[in-house]
Amino acid sequence: MSFLNIRSLSKRYGTVTALDDVDLSVASGSRTAIVGPSGSGKTTLLRIIAGFDTPDRGEVVLDDIVLADGQESVPAHRRGIGVVAQDGALFPHLTIEQNIGFGLDRRAADRPVRIRELMDMVGLDRSMLERSPDQLSGGQQQRVALARALARKPRLMLLDEPFSALDTGLRAATRKAVAQVLSDAGIATILVTHDQSEALSFADQLAVMRSGKLVQVGSPQHVYLHPNDVLTAEFLGEALLLPAQLDGGQADCAFGRIAVNDKDGRGPATIMIRPEQVVLMTSPGLPHSSGDVPTVEAVVVGLDFCGSTSELLLHIGGDRRISLRQPSSDAISVGASVAIGMRGTAHVLKR
Amino acid sequence: MKVTNSLTLALLALTASVAAVPASSHAQVADSITIYNAQHESLTQEWVDAFTEETGIVVTVRNGSDMELGNQIVQEGAASPADVFLTENSPAMALVDNAGLFEPVNQDTLDQVPDHFRAADGKWIGIAARSTVFAYDKTKLTEDTLPKSMLDLADPSWKGRWAASPSGADFQAIVGALLQLKGEEATAAWLAGMKQNVTTYRGNSTAMKAVNAGEVEGALIYHYYYFGDQAKTGENSGNVALHYFRHQDPGAFVSISGGGILASSQHKQQAQAFLKWLTGADGQQILKDGTSFEYAVGKGAASNPALVPLNDLQAPDVAPASLDSKKVTDLMTEAGLL
Amino acid sequence: MLSGLAAVIALLALLPLGFVVWVALVTGWDTVAAMLFRPKVGELLVNTVLLILLTLPACILLSVTLAWLTERSDMPGARLWAWLSVAPLAIPAFVHSYAWISLWPRFHGLPAGVAVSVVAYFPFLYLPVAAAFRRLDPALEDQAASLGLPPLQVFCRVVLPQLRLAICGGALLVGLHLLAEYGLYVMIRFDTFTTAIVDQFQSTYNGVAANMLAVVLVLCCFALLAFETLARGNRRYARLGSGAARRAAPVRLGRAKPVCLLIPVITALFALGVPVYTLGRWLVAGGTQIWRLNDIGLALGQTLLLCLIGGVATTAAALPMAWLSIRRPSRSNRLLESFYYLASSMPGVVIALALVTVAVRVVLPLYQTLATVLLAYIIMFLPRALVSLRASIAQAPVELEQAAASLGRSPAASLWSVTVRLAAPGAAAGMALSALGIMNELTATQMLAPNGTRTLAMAFWALSSEIDYAGAAPYALIMVLFSLPMTWLLYSQSKRIAGR
Repeated sequence: MSFLNIRSLSKRYGTVTALDDVDLSVASGSRTAIVGPSGSGKTTLLRIIAGFDTPDRGEVVLDDIVLADGQESVPAHRRGIGVVAQDGALFPHLTIEQNIGFGLDRRAADRPVRIRELMDMVGLDRSMLERSPDQLSGGQQQRVALARALARKPRLMLLDEPFSALDTGLRAATRKAVAQVLSDAGIATILVTHDQSEALSFADQLAVMRSGKLVQVGSPQHVYLHPNDVLTAEFLGEALLLPAQLDGGQADCAFGRIAVNDKDGRGPATIMIRPEQVVLMTSPGLPHSSGDVPTVEAVVVGLDFCGSTSELLLHIGGDRRISLRQPSSDAISVGASVAIGMRGTAHVLKR
Repeated sequence: MKVTNSLTLALLALTASVAAVPASSHAQVADSITIYNAQHESLTQEWVDAFTEETGIVVTVRNGSDMELGNQIVQEGAASPADVFLTENSPAMALVDNAGLFEPVNQDTLDQVPDHFRAADGKWIGIAARSTVFAYDKTKLTEDTLPKSMLDLADPSWKGRWAASPSGADFQAIVGALLQLKGEEATAAWLAGMKQNVTTYRGNSTAMKAVNAGEVEGALIYHYYYFGDQAKTGENSGNVALHYFRHQDPGAFVSISGGGILASSQHKQQAQAFLKWLTGADGQQILKDGTSFEYAVGKGAASNPALVPLNDLQAPDVAPASLDSKKVTDLMTEAGLL
Repeated sequence: MLSGLAAVIALLALLPLGFVVWVALVTGWDTVAAMLFRPKVGELLVNTVLLILLTLPACILLSVTLAWLTERSDMPGARLWAWLSVAPLAIPAFVHSYAWISLWPRFHGLPAGVAVSVVAYFPFLYLPVAAAFRRLDPALEDQAASLGLPPLQVFCRVVLPQLRLAICGGALLVGLHLLAEYGLYVMIRFDTFTTAIVDQFQSTYNGVAANMLAVVLVLCCFALLAFETLARGNRRYARLGSGAARRAAPVRLGRAKPVCLLIPVITALFALGVPVYTLGRWLVAGGTQIWRLNDIGLALGQTLLLCLIGGVATTAAALPMAWLSIRRPSRSNRLLESFYYLASSMPGVVIALALVTVAVRVVLPLYQTLATVLLAYIIMFLPRALVSLRASIAQAPVELEQAAASLGRSPAASLWSVTVRLAAPGAAAGMALSALGIMNELTATQMLAPNGTRTLAMAFWALSSEIDYAGAAPYALIMVLFSLPMTWLLYSQSKRIAGR
């Protein structure tokens, strides 16, 4: 029951390919995050969906209505799609009230009521109505931008890195609030971001973009734990990438013999372990197996203290080194011998 | 002050190095005079060039209009940098004379022009003369449709049909003559009528050009603009003919261009020499041969043969020294012409 | 000490304004009333108001259209048209009207006044509006479209309000020029307060009627300033958010392209084609005999020297204030700075009239010296130097000097090696812009210049007044040629300020 369908979308700017044959479906009322490094084409994709740009080829269909088919395109103002831009894009010459009411009929009798409802909905104090945008904090500006976009009851809401300009603390809070408001309103949402943790926590569906292509689409958990390739693995979070010898659901690697999610593969491969799967034990001389966790001995050769966590550089047999973030502990210092092991299943990366 | 003067000197020195020996570069030299000139720049330049060549006296010229420079001299008083004042018309001369700022002109210079072309008190002297004319579009007006008197031009029948340059000293001199001949009331009434009728231009050449182009039927100006243009290409006067009012009409007024020496001058000797030369044979010859087409006023000096002789103009009898410029500008300001 | 110096310069600059107030006070009320409440003043007022009411909207419409076409559309040759929309500034206003009446001698009065004013002055609006277009964040327009506004409404409700500051500022500049210009209106026979003041000056020197007209003219300036302040409002227009704005995608003109192309073509035809054609015609018609090299050389030499001294003096006079406004920003310094702008918004004829009277009556030794005419130039062109200097001093924040000091430079050496070096281009630009103003100045120069002075503008004016149009052409040509590089500077400066 997909609501938005994007098929074979391509767009070039001069010699640069911004989008290369992109397909994506978004279910109604769902939340999709498009994540990728800058220049990957995600903003272009968003602008084409919004109607600010036209594709060279491909289709955008919303609720069975074709919005763009190649260069035939419904203009942005007739699409009914809400957009919240990176820094809010509030109109600097208008007050907060005028900003929120911008898309509403100016003669509508219920206009003031609607504006106040929207203020409440995004959790803004009504005393701000008469202020001008530059008197608001970044987080408040984003809420105004959201209220303004919600005012027209859009079928689809596009969020273009709306939280990137906020400081860390405010970012999470604003993101939660926005997600809540959009869920309550039942509006399908697409969030574009280069911040993988933001994408992971926000979305029902995660789409990873790179060089104009959608390289993987799926649930956040799935994509995080089962990335298709090295780049995706590393983009979504820290990853330990180890060479391994596959043997039908098992693999031999620096950690010893561990379980992998490839039942049939045999021979050499690269496996991925997320740092949170790694267990570190400070008492040396442990057996190679502690309960069901296979362990291996290592020596701490570097330590970077970062407060609650520390970045360790470990030397595991041979000349293999891995770096690992762990809760800080008095017991660990450079030169200490430790044992590391892993929980769960390692992910075998495609070649 | 020292700084300012040295800056001025620096300016002059540098300027001199840029151009080939300009007159102004010698302003500070002892054998030199400064002229406040309201005469046509080109005519004065002809005079000055010839005078400097003959006598070696260097001349610095400040250009302006009659009443501007006249009033300026009055305000400057004893501090005026001017040695000589030259005008196109006599009201400005009278203004400066009445303020007591003129030095008497040497008798032998005064003797070079007839009595009626100089001030009775001998403080200034006529250097040239010009006649009022009605320059008209000969494709539109004929002998019998021309105005019989200048006074007719205030009649409603002339509404929108004639031009003048009321901001100019020439026209104000004509009004001055009218004032002397017909009195204040008649002049104010004529000016009020004129305000209704006239199309104003800045400059007599421009007014004549408008007549030639058919914008208006005629213009009340001085005679020499026509001859000057005819002598060049005639492109601004091809359709124009001159109508002299004669019969001692105010419109037949002959205006005297004057020259005077400032009592405050530090170079009186050279200034006297200049006026003597100007009104003598050499200076007057330039009026006959040059491109100015103004009348010569020296005794026995001939004017350009193309001109209607001065004696045939039947000009009204006007005392040039008592033309009241202040009253004229007041009346014209009142009439809304200024 | 610096503030003292800046204050003294401000006082000097306010001299003309003080003079006007003084004249109005010492002249008996009966005389004031007689001079003010007369039909001629009414005529002039109607003329002036109509001129402004017709010219400003036309200039605004033209420059917003041109700026949009050159900055926002895919019009072919947009860079060329942008430059050609600034280039008319290189032609002095009185040369514009000289060109028009040569071509069309009957052209006169209000229609001519409006038409020639538009082509002569619209670049003053085009420059800031085009710069504002470049600064606009296109995200706001996208946003408005996503809120359901069709393109025309987006333009009216989002783009235009953001251009308001630029439009107000540019319109004020044009308006002040309309009030101050003399030569342009004399040639096409349109009476304004300025032409009437000069008429009176020529008839009575600094008579009471001239002074009273100056009072009215100053009141007109104040009305314009007040109106601009009102229209500008106090809302913030700066872009919110951080980072550079995305560059707007050019709007495709499609089939409208040929029609749109006609707008800059016709504008260039009238604003550049007409003057270039007429000048060329007179130069050809005049042949070699109009090149009286002695006269031209003398005028050129004097003009260049005045430009040089005036440019340096103006920049030097602006320096203390520029320094204070960047390094010691305070309420009182902002107030002081606003006096500079107020002083220079007075028309040249008023400034000259004031300086003539003050010099003749109070400081006679300064009368008819270079110092007086320089003071007039300084008053008139201070803002040009001030704006350039400010921008360049701002480029050299005090931290850089401190860094130089920490690297072992003495205070003087660090000032020289850092701030002066960084501010030098701005100072040079300020000098150039002031010099450009001086080169084309006519009214004040004529009234104040020392004996024997003859600038290019004065020579041009004297010759064209005697209808020696061919003889005047070389002077106009030289003025235009010298103005072109400075106009180019202005053009590229406005691009840099807009960040591109």
